[in-house]
Amino acid sequence: MMGKGLQSTWRKFRKQWQLQIIALAGMTILFLFSYLPLFGIIIAFKNYSINMGFAGIFESEWVGLKWFREIFGFYRFGEILKNTLVLSILKLALSFPAPILLALLLSEMRCTWFKRLVQTVSYLPNFISWVLLYTIATAFLNTDTGIINEILVNLGLVNAPVPFLTSPDYFYGVSVFMAVWKNSGYWAIIFLAAIAGIDSQLYEAADIDGAGRLAKIWHITLPGIKASVITVLILSIGSLLGGGMGGSNFEQAYIFGNTFNNSASEILQTYSFKTGLSNGRFAYATAVDLIQSVISILLILISNWGAKKTTGEGIF
Amino acid sequence: MAKKKENEVGRKYKWTKENIIFDGIVWILLLVVFVLIAYPFYYIVLASFNEGYDFMRGGVYFFPRKFTLFNYVDLLSQSKWIKAFQVSFFRTITGTLLTVIATCFLSYVLSREELVFGKIYKFLVIFAMYVSGGLIPYYITLRNLHLLNTIWVYIIPSMLNLFFIMVGINFFAAIPVSLIESAKLDGASEFRVLFSIVRPVSTPFIATLSLFSAVNQWNAWLDSAYYVNGEGLRTIAYRMLTEVNQTLGATSTGGSMVTTSTAMTTQASAMVASMLPIMCVYPFLQKYFVQGIMIGAVKE
Repeated sequence: MMGKGLQSTWRKFRKQWQLQIIALAGMTILFLFSYLPLFGIIIAFKNYSINMGFAGIFESEWVGLKWFREIFGFYRFGEILKNTLVLSILKLALSFPAPILLALLLSEMRCTWFKRLVQTVSYLPNFISWVLLYTIATAFLNTDTGIINEILVNLGLVNAPVPFLTSPDYFYGVSVFMAVWKNSGYWAIIFLAAIAGIDSQLYEAADIDGAGRLAKIWHITLPGIKASVITVLILSIGSLLGGGMGGSNFEQAYIFGNTFNNSASEILQTYSFKTGLSNGRFAYATAVDLIQSVISILLILISNWGAKKTTGEGIF
Repeated sequence: MAKKKENEVGRKYKWTKENIIFDGIVWILLLVVFVLIAYPFYYIVLASFNEGYDFMRGGVYFFPRKFTLFNYVDLLSQSKWIKAFQVSFFRTITGTLLTVIATCFLSYVLSREELVFGKIYKFLVIFAMYVSGGLIPYYITLRNLHLLNTIWVYIIPSMLNLFFIMVGINFFAAIPVSLIESAKLDGASEFRVLFSIVRPVSTPFIATLSLFSAVNQWNAWLDSAYYVNGEGLRTIAYRMLTEVNQTLGATSTGGSMVTTSTAMTTQASAMVASMLPIMCVYPFLQKYFVQGIMIGAVKE
C-alpha cells in the first residue's frame, strides 16, 4: 500500500515537473539566505573566527556560555538593555496612537481636496530612507546651521544652540518624534479603510438622536475600528524590539547615534553589529544578537497570549 | 479658517456653533500636520537652489535669496556621486525585476492546490518569516557564498520577498481553477498559463510588490556600508550618510564651518536628486499600494 501511494505521488510529481522546478528553485534561494544563517546561531556557544568558513561553524571548539558571561559582566550592558527597551516602548506608546488620531482627523475633514493633499503628503516620508530623514534632521536640528536652533536663538528662547543630535538627553525625544513623523501617514491608511467600512446608517441614526460630533466619534467610529486597532497593536507588540510601527529601531539608532549621544543611542542590535562587523568579534556579537532574539520571542509569545485572552484570537 | 464647506453627499452643512468649532479645530490640526511634513521637504529643495555661503548666513525660509543651479552642477561634477547614482539605479532596476519575477513565480506555484509537497514548501516560507539567524550569521553566510564585494550581494539575497509570497499565494488562489484547467486542456504549458492568464489579472499585486522592492533597493545603505568595500560599489544612500556624518562631526567638534555649510547645499541637491525617482513613480502607484497594504494587513 505504502509503495503504491509513494508511486502515485511520484507520478504526480513528475507530471507537474514545470511547477516543481520553480518551487525547488525558490526553496534553494530560501535555504541559502534564510536557513543557512540559522546554523550560524550556534557560534554564540563556540570559539569561531571568520576565517574558518562554513565548516568552522560546526568544527570550532565549544565554549559553553563564555560569551554570555562576558556580556552580562560588561559594564555597559545595563545601559544598552535599558536603551533597547526604553526606545522600543516609547516608540510604541507614541507611534501607535498617532496614526489613529490622524485617521480620525482625516475622516472628519469635509474638504475633499485638502484631505487628499494631506493624506498624500503624510505617507510620503514612509518611502524616504532613514538616511535621508537624517539629512533633513541635521538641516533642522544642527547646532550651527539648523533652522530650529536659529529660530530658538533669534527669539531668545535659549542662550546657546540646543545639541539635539549630539547629546544623550535628546536622543529618545528626537528618535520618537522622527518615527512618528515617518510612519503615521502610512499606518493611517489601515485605520481610514476601517473607518470607511463602518455602516453609514449608524451615523444617520445618531444624527436623529441628536448626537454631537465627538459623541459620534466616541460611540460609533472608535468601536467600529476596534478590530483593526487590536490587530495592529498585537503586531506591533510582537515586533517591539525591531521597531514595530515606528520603523527599524536598528537603522534609526545606528544612523542617529554618534559618539556624543552613544550612552542613549546604543541598543543591543547596534552593539552586536559594531562588535561583530567592525571589531571582528563574530561569536560574541552572535551571542548579543541571540539575547535580543530571545527577548523578542518572549514578547511575541506574551502578546499572542494577551491577544487570545482579550479577543479570543491570536497571531498564530 | 476656510468658509467654504460644501457637503459631499448633498446634505446641507449646518452652521451650528458645534460644527464650526469642531471643523475649525480639524482644519487647524491638519494644517499643522501638513506643514510639519511638507515644509521639511520644501526646505531641502529651497536649500538646493540657494548659493552655499549665502545659505549658511541663515534666514532663508521661503524663497531662495541667491538663486543658483551651482549645487546641481557641483553634484554632477563629482564622480563619487555619479558613480553612486549609477550603482543605485542598477541595483534598483535589476533587483526589482528579479524580485518581482522570483516572488511572483514562486507564490503562483505555491498557490496551486495540486502541488505535491505544497504544504511543506509553504511551511518553510512561513517559518523563515518569523525566525531569522540575525545579522552576524547572515553576514557569515554571504561571505561564505562569496557574495561580498560584488554587486550581486544587493540583488540575489533579496530576490524572494517572503511577506509578498504569502500575500501572492492568497492573491493567486483567487483565480478560478477552471480557467487554468481549460487552458491546459488546450495544450498550454505552465509558463504559457502564467503569462497569458495569470499575469494580466495580477496588476495590483505586481505594482505593489514593485513599488516596495524598488523603494527598498533605492533606500538601502547598510549592505553598501558593510557588504562591499572600495568606492566603486557604494550606493547613493550610503554616500549620503557618510557626507552628513562628516558635516555633523565637523560642526560638533568646531571644525571648519565654511566647507561644511557649502557642502550642506550640495547635500540638499543630492537629496532632491535621490528623492526624485521615488516622487516620480509614487503618484502612479499610490492607488495600488493602498490596496496592497490592505491585502497584507487583513491577512496578517
